[in-house]
Amino acid sequence: MAGTPSQELMESETRVAYGPVPRGLFDPALDELSWQLLGDRFLLRGEGQHFFHYRKGEGITIERGPGADASEEALWLNGSVYSAIASLNGLLPVHASAVAIGGRVFAFTGPAGAGKSTLTAALGARELPMFCDDTLVLDLAEPRSITCLPGHKRLKLREDALEMTGARREEKVSCTVDKFFALPAAGDVGEPLPLGELIFLEEGSETSIAPILGAARFAKVHEPNSATWLFTETQSGTRAERFAHLGRLAQQIPMARFMRPIARDRFGEGVTLMTEYLRQKLAE
Amino acid sequence: MTALIKLAERFTETRVDDEIVVMRLDNGSFFSLAGTAAAIWRLIDGSRDRAALLSALAAQYEEDPRRLADDVDALLTQLQDARLLERD
Repeated sequence: MAGTPSQELMESETRVAYGPVPRGLFDPALDELSWQLLGDRFLLRGEGQHFFHYRKGEGITIERGPGADASEEALWLNGSVYSAIASLNGLLPVHASAVAIGGRVFAFTGPAGAGKSTLTAALGARELPMFCDDTLVLDLAEPRSITCLPGHKRLKLREDALEMTGARREEKVSCTVDKFFALPAAGDVGEPLPLGELIFLEEGSETSIAPILGAARFAKVHEPNSATWLFTETQSGTRAERFAHLGRLAQQIPMARFMRPIARDRFGEGVTLMTEYLRQKLAE
Repeated sequence: MTALIKLAERFTETRVDDEIVVMRLDNGSFFSLAGTAAAIWRLIDGSRDRAALLSALAAQYEEDPRRLADDVDALLTQLQDARLLERD
């Protein structure tokens, strides 16, 4: 099925071939579980001699040498490699999981373990379809709006999150990752949609949702996280141009802060509040 | 009259909602200007001196200029120290 130019570009750029790849893009050669970025090339080393090389226009080449863990391959491809390719092609990957409602995307971001996937899965049980899990890719090609590309990853949940959200358990993610693939109860969305809001998950003693306004939004887009940092690394330009880019994101991305206690017995309360909040957004 | 002039070559700025973020180009540091500070920044347009700025701000906020003078002076000093502003 034909998609937007950005979707077609990502489909083409993420094609995979197997063969020998360089051990480093510059000295020193790569250690395990690290990566290098040079010009239009990205090189990642997984466990042992497991290398992933990308060059703009050439796609991905994987070398499985001694010690490579094939069960981890899809995780590397869909994680850091995908984010690097998106960044090198002008798309902005954000560490976020998201649902769709009213033709817009509402994305939840926060550090690892903040509950992005769990909240997204729980909203599925409230009939809100998933848009993406773990990585939200933003298409910035149109200057006046930001479009979200639908998720390329399957939902992944821990055992306790499966119980709390009602998502359907599938196979284990890999030998080393203590999570299961899962099917969100309300399914997922496959077409690009505009970004409705980026919601920051934070811990607090009470459950509340409040907008983030003004310069605080600029501060939020200026905070590095692993995915946006990759994007920044791939962008050339002056300090003023990078500032203008961040300013655009701050102006165009509505943001909110979702505070809630990290306690299993208070989880449902937060999901209910977020469901009501998102349904109110439908009326706006 | 000593007009207040922004040193445009030394900074770049962006507006988010009603607030303004200013970045110094020499070191990448940020100023965030909200409320009265944002209004003062907007009123520094190269045509006003301190008294005219204070008067315009007072009219905007329907406030006695004497009550706003400390805020204005503090920000002007801060901007001058950051070399974002000069008095012609």
